[in-house]
Amino acid sequence: MSRRESDRRDDDEIHAVIRQAITRRGFLGRSARSAGGLLLGSSLLGACGGKDGAPAAGGDAAATGGGKTLRVSNWPLYIDKQTVADFEKATGIDTEYTEDVNDNAEFFAKIDEPLKRGQSIDREIIVLTDWMAGRLIRLGYVSPLDDAKFPNKANLVDSVKDVSFDPGRKFSVPWLSGMAGIGYNPKKTGRELTSIDDIFDPKLKGQVTMLTEMRDTFGLVMLGLGKDPTKATVADAKAAGARIKRARESGQIRKFTGNDYAEDLAAGNIAAAIAWSGDIQGLAADNPDLRWIAPKEGAMLFSDNMMIPKTSDRQDLAMAWINYVYDPKHSAQIVAGAPYLPAVKGAGAELAKIAPDLASSPLVNPPDELRARLHVFKALSDSEDTEFNRIFQDAIGA
Amino acid sequence: MAGTASGGSRRSRLAPYLLVAPGILWLLVFFVVPTLTLAQTSVTGTEGPWWEAYHRALSNYGTHFFRSLRYALGATLLSLAMGYPLAYFIAFRAGSLKNMLLGLVVLPFFTTFLVRTFAWKTILNDGGPAVWLLKQLHILGEGGRLLDTTIAVVGGLTYNFLPFMILPIYVSLEKIDRRLVEAAEDLYSTPMGAFRKVVLPLSLPGVFAGSLLTFIPATGDFINAQLLGSPNQQMIGTVIQNQFLEVRDYPLAASLSFVLMAVITVGVLAYARVLGTEELA
Repeated sequence: MSRRESDRRDDDEIHAVIRQAITRRGFLGRSARSAGGLLLGSSLLGACGGKDGAPAAGGDAAATGGGKTLRVSNWPLYIDKQTVADFEKATGIDTEYTEDVNDNAEFFAKIDEPLKRGQSIDREIIVLTDWMAGRLIRLGYVSPLDDAKFPNKANLVDSVKDVSFDPGRKFSVPWLSGMAGIGYNPKKTGRELTSIDDIFDPKLKGQVTMLTEMRDTFGLVMLGLGKDPTKATVADAKAAGARIKRARESGQIRKFTGNDYAEDLAAGNIAAAIAWSGDIQGLAADNPDLRWIAPKEGAMLFSDNMMIPKTSDRQDLAMAWINYVYDPKHSAQIVAGAPYLPAVKGAGAELAKIAPDLASSPLVNPPDELRARLHVFKALSDSEDTEFNRIFQDAIGA
Repeated sequence: MAGTASGGSRRSRLAPYLLVAPGILWLLVFFVVPTLTLAQTSVTGTEGPWWEAYHRALSNYGTHFFRSLRYALGATLLSLAMGYPLAYFIAFRAGSLKNMLLGLVVLPFFTTFLVRTFAWKTILNDGGPAVWLLKQLHILGEGGRLLDTTIAVVGGLTYNFLPFMILPIYVSLEKIDRRLVEAAEDLYSTPMGAFRKVVLPLSLPGVFAGSLLTFIPATGDFINAQLLGSPNQQMIGTVIQNQFLEVRDYPLAASLSFVLMAVITVGVLAYARVLGTEELA
């Protein structure tokens, strides 16, 4: 490993820990990182390149200073433990899977400048939520996907084939999708929660957390106020912001968190939280009492998408990865380790073979009744985004 | 050889400049230039007059500024209250234990700041030993907690910056000539009188340096408030971080940074006027 590389890693590790406190889906000490197998030489790479129909030989890659390594940046707790190793074995591609995406806005702040100047961000794959994916596509920061190297694109589920921010899925494909609803500990709440209003119940004063991800928290609070987050207006944001601010100032809300709400919930520090669907399932092992619900008013749906930065000089490796994870078997294996919603046809059937309980879980396969209550936050323009964010930051007191 | 002599003296005239050059260059590149860029950012890119971002910074975040100053002051006073006696003990009474005690003061730095603050999260947990003990002693009520309170944030700041208070005070105490204390006692001073009239005044430069090293970084700190505080304990550092990274309102973030710098500079100058910097060694 070169010195610069190791510096970057140290830096990333520190930032990963910092953000763990601040943002989404981070866990201290669990930032599993799969550095590529050192045994795989460039000869294997050449072979793999041939398999993918990529003319680029190992020597060319070395000459451009780029890697023979595939570098994937994803959110923490978003993959099983086996897939990266299996992928390396199957394709011979040295893979560095890093869990350094902890917050859309923050990650964007990091990559915006270099991409604007056409510089490398040292990554072949990045995974960001729909609205941020839309922004990157609009700004021309990502490369089109090479469909010739992506035969498994046929497995993409129909409902997400055409999305407003990327018609025809030319630049992005979903990694996984999830829901934001309410996670709670019935032992602490003393009752079942069913509504968004329940988290504003004064009996839970100081025992509630909300997410720092604006669209999830605003979306749920808007649903609670009877507003439609798919058509959110500035007035709706102000109403939701005012409600959150009152609750914060009264001490109702203990914290605005990223993924660390999960620890607080498991440790019994909090009774209820705005929570992501896949996490609670994962925590059930530590604390089987915990529950996740989509409130009767509705829940928020989000998707995170794989994209290839335009400055990556090994797009062939990236395409190999994307094609690999769009195999239903491989997708099922990922979902078995991270119980979110796959966007791969046939993944459910494959999952039923390896984890039948999970395959029938509403978290992985929401029934129609639940699907009807899921909302995707409105696609905001840049100026709306700034305005909403100002209201949100003021509401959460940061 | 006259040439050599004059060459030598020219070299000696140049020497001070050569010695300060690396430091000056460093500050120029990594402090002056970024500061100017920041200043430019704070006055451009907004609709309306150049001071628009400053207006928003002052009108919306006054509470955060005052809170940061209050917390930093609290942490500084607590550090002083704990740090001075400890530094005194190490300097005057520790004997052969001196080096070990100094080592212990520095020891926490072997782990990163962040991990240590995380450890406090575990210690102050609602189900943790600290809360249990305080509840047993009826200091904390039934629904009481430590984590995500002002006490936790100020405590965390104190913990993290305490060594920066201890070390300068220790250094200033250590170099006091012991014969001065003996002389005071020979002149019928009580031990307390000798401390007040001799030791304390001579250690003030250390107190001054220590309180600056504690107060300034504590004011701008955002980790402690974020990890150990609730949303009602957020400090100005958190706001700046959020404005830069989340909202990306660079003019506001830059003007907040400048207001913070100005507030700290004014505070430090006032403090220096009271305690006097000319004694700073």
